[in-house]
Formats: sequence, C-alpha cells, structure tokens
Amino acid sequence: MGKGFCALFKKDCRMLVSGKFFLMALGFLVLYTAYVNLGYIRFMQMPPYNVYLYDPTGIQTEKSPLVQIVSSMEAMDAVLLSDANGVGLDASAGEVRVVLYKGAEHVDRHRADYALSLLEPSASPAPEVLGTNTPEQKARKEITCELLFFELAAVGFLGIAAVLFKEKGMGVIRVHAILPVRKDLFLLSKLAVFLLSDLAFAVLLTLLNVGLNDGAAVLPAVLLQTAILSLMMALVGLLCALLLKDFRQFTLAYLVIAIFAATPVFLSANTSIKLDWIGYHPFYHVYMGLKNAYFGTDISPAYYAGAAGVIALLFLVVRLAFHREIGKEG
Amino acid sequence: MIEVKNLTFSYGKDKQALHGLNFTVEDGEIFGFLGPNGSGKSTTQKILTGILKGHGGRVSLFGQDPSAVRGPEFFRKIGVLFEFPYLYANLSAVENLEYFASFYPGEQRRDVGELLDMLEFKRDFLKKPVSSYSKGMRQRVSMARALVSSPRLLFLDEPTSGLDPSGAVLFRKIIEQERKKGTTVFVTTHNMVDADLLCDRVAFISNGNLVALDTPKRLKEKNSNHRVVIDYLYQGQRETKTVEAPELEAGIPFAHDGIISIHSQEPTLEDMFIQYTGRGLS
Repeated sequence: MGKGFCALFKKDCRMLVSGKFFLMALGFLVLYTAYVNLGYIRFMQMPPYNVYLYDPTGIQTEKSPLVQIVSSMEAMDAVLLSDANGVGLDASAGEVRVVLYKGAEHVDRHRADYALSLLEPSASPAPEVLGTNTPEQKARKEITCELLFFELAAVGFLGIAAVLFKEKGMGVIRVHAILPVRKDLFLLSKLAVFLLSDLAFAVLLTLLNVGLNDGAAVLPAVLLQTAILSLMMALVGLLCALLLKDFRQFTLAYLVIAIFAATPVFLSANTSIKLDWIGYHPFYHVYMGLKNAYFGTDISPAYYAGAAGVIALLFLVVRLAFHREIGKEG
Repeated sequence: MIEVKNLTFSYGKDKQALHGLNFTVEDGEIFGFLGPNGSGKSTTQKILTGILKGHGGRVSLFGQDPSAVRGPEFFRKIGVLFEFPYLYANLSAVENLEYFASFYPGEQRRDVGELLDMLEFKRDFLKKPVSSYSKGMRQRVSMARALVSSPRLLFLDEPTSGLDPSGAVLFRKIIEQERKKGTTVFVTTHNMVDADLLCDRVAFISNGNLVALDTPKRLKEKNSNHRVVIDYLYQGQRETKTVEAPELEAGIPFAHDGIISIHSQEPTLEDMFIQYTGRGLS
C-alpha cells in the first residue's frame, strides 16, 4: 500500500510541476509578500486624511506635525480641490472653522473630528488598549489571514480541479480502476500533495509577512486551520472536477465560490457590516477559525468536530463520484 | 479461467444491459467477444475486470467473483488494453510505463525497453511526451502497459485500432506469443479479420444476449452453402461454374482444359454476425 501511495504521490507532484502549479504558488507568494510589505502596511500607517490649516495669526501652537499649513484661503481652496478627501481648518477668525468637500454625513463627522483633534493632540483621551498587538502587527496578521484564506479557497481549489480535469480528459482515471492499488489512494495522494503544498505556503506566507517571531508563535494554530481549509477546498475541487463536464462549467462554479461565497465572509469578518445569516455560511466559520489562529484566540471544540465531520462527509461523496467516474464509458 | 452463468446487469430500473449471458473461457484460450455498439460488450468486460459491481448471476475469474474482490491480488493477474489509449500526455512512453509498472511486484514486471522494442516503438520517441505521438504509437504504448505486468489474463478492447496493416500483423503475432506462454486472452473487437485470425472461439452478443458461440471455422461451416466457384479454361475461353462441393469428390464434373482458380462460397464471419443478429457491426 505504501509503495502504491508513493508512486501516486510522485506522479501527482510531476503533474503539478508540469502544470506549473508550484511556480504559480511561488509567484503568488512573492506577489502577496510584496503587496503586504511594500503596499498594505505603508498604506495602513498613513494618516487617514490630509489636514490643512490657515492660521494667519499663529494661534494654534499645539498642533500635530501632521497638520499642513497653507498661506491663504485661496491656497486652501486650491489644495482641497486637488485633495477632495482632505480637511481644511480656517483659524483666521480666531475660532476654528472646518472646510471640506461634502461626502457621507458620518464620514464627514469623522473627518472633522479627526482634523480638530490634530490641533490639540495632548487633549485627546487616552483609551484603554485591549490586546497585545501593535497596530502594525494587527494589520499584518489581518492581511496575511485574508491572503492565505483567498489562496486556499480560490487558488488551491482551482489547482486541484485543474489537475483532475487533465487526468479526466486523458482518461487515465479509468486505468487506475484496474491497477492493484486501493482506489482511495488515488484521492488520498492528491489530498496529501495539496495539503503539503498549502502547509508550506502557509509557513512561508506567515513568516514573511507576520514576522519571524510573531509568525512562529502563531504557526502551529495557523497550520491546523490551514490543514482544515486545505482539505475541505481540495475535496470540493475534486468533487467539482468529477461531477462537472468540462473546465468551462467549472469556471462558473469557481466564480460562485471565489466571489459570491467568499465576499460576504470578508465583509462580515473585517468590516462593521453585520449580516444576520452569516452564521449559517460555512466559510465564515472556517475563516474565523483561521483569524482566531492568527490572533491566538481559543477555538471551540465543536468547531473542530464540525470540521472533521464535513471533511469525512466530503471524502465519502468524492469517493462515490470517483467510483462512478471510473466505471464510465470511454 | 472465466466462468459466466446467467449474467445480468441493469443501468437503473429500466435499462437492462445484459440478459443472462452464459459462457466459459478456458486457460490459454483466445476468446473473441463480438457485438455492435451498445450491445453489452463493454459492460461485460467491466464486470469481468471488477470495475462494475452489482451484477446478477454468477461470474468467476481465477475462482473468485471480481465484484467481491477487495485486495490487489486479483488486479495483479489481469492486464487491460482499453478501447482508447489512456496515457499521461505530459509523460513519455518510458515514464508512463514505469509509473504503471510500479504498482506491480518487481518479479512480475517486464523490462519496459524490451517491451517497447518488441512492439517496434520508434526509439527517438522514447523520451518525448505522449502528446507528440501518433495514434499508432499511443496504441503501442497502451499495449505495452497491458503487458508490462505479465498478466495471466489479458483483456484487449479493439487491439489493432489505429494501427497500420503491418502494425496489426505485429499485434496479432504478439497476442499469439502471449497465448503460447499460457496467457488467456479476452478480445473485444469489431474487426472480423482479427477475430477470424486470432480467436479460438468467438461469441456474438446483441442487445445483451449471447446469440452464437463457437469457433470461427465451425460458425462459417455451419452456415456454408457448400458450393465452390471454379474459373477454368476450355477451348481457349475463360469460363466460370458453380458446383456443389460433394460433386468434386469424383473430380471436376465438367469438360475443361485447365483450372484457373477454385473458391469456396463460405460466408465471412461478418455475414454470420448479420445472420445471427440481424445487425451489422458498426
């Protein structure tokens, strides 16, 4: 059995190499890492709005260094015209007047409050900070979690389905029906290849983007969640490839899963948008499992029991579909 | 080797594919299974190779029912050439064969290079991907895959499909050689020449029923009109006469100066198939 599994495993690796899957995964790793370190983190550290002050008498002495001085109201108008999200503060009449281009009411309030707070930074209340993550650590963990989830849910899913579609097209699946090897090993070897590939990807993505020390601390929990999501997505990918007729049909299923299924999860988990039904969305729980792993939050044993049940059920369904496929006409 | 008794199979409730087949295949026999598309040939072969389960009646290969097979032992004894050359297109002939051979015990495996040489595979293509091969070359690699495990029972589905005439002759020679080694061969084909030249016995299947089973020779003899057509020369003219075969026992029953040719009016195997089933082999 071990020898048969090794032969299948080796062949699946070759299929992935010839399909340039590993190269693609490496490309994504480089792309994500560049995005996080050269784009996202810098963007998150930037002030939310530029604040411009016209203060001809120089009465605002405590102002934050983030406040930019303009020499006249004409200059203020000109700068706000080119930076419509910026906030102007006119202190020429003694009392400070907020000048801005109108947007959504709640956003405008936030912009005005933020701009005024920069005039008296010392007067701002010091809130009690919960958790131990610095803003940068938090941002790094959040974005790494999102990227890993996307990679596993969309890219890995596409990869496994592409390999199986190829084998289905070549008809070689049927040859395995008469080989002296347990048929389940054909599926298990594919799951093993993708699982190992996803785990390696998760290790590299986490260490490169969360940092060596912080990343290493959360890695065991992250790898466990990665394994759960990787197995689920690989099984869904296998099922789609076995049941759907061609890659075109699969592309539609891929869009449904990658966009319509993942978008509400991201919105609900990362923004203030509350969706009442999100608790019924299976991806939400898996995503929250991954997020909790990055932030070191405990995960309920019921979640693990549910995940194990889903994986077992998916495997049985895939097995059934596989046996149906190998018995088909040529 | 193979024993089939009252074999039935249905795809769903209303689609009965096999209606009680009965036949046996002896050790070392080349058995032809002939039938038009949709007649139940592939279904029978899939049941025999253990791919399809849930049949009715009794099937026994090596003394066991293939549908009850759990371990790899059964599959180590069989080799299958599928109707289409199912191969990994991104791998070469050698890589494909080494991969498929790796599932069998070392002592059972044949040398991949020798096999490909025997099948007259072009050496320059040994390491090129299968995607660059012609249909005939793919068929040769598929045949090599079926033989690489030295099977005791060989299932061949359209073995000479995609081969040129010399390739077909070579394949028939190889099948004969396998039989001489004691391998039992179960051939499913549309090719009447293959069936006639290769098979010890043939079975005709039509609409899931076995309609005839005998040696090709006896099937033809049974249905022969026992006439011969003689082309001869008489007084400088070429002439043709049809006579009853028994009339020849006493010699040529008419005046002639010389015989040009004598042809028996024996029917072909295809004529027999049409006669038994009322359908062509297309």
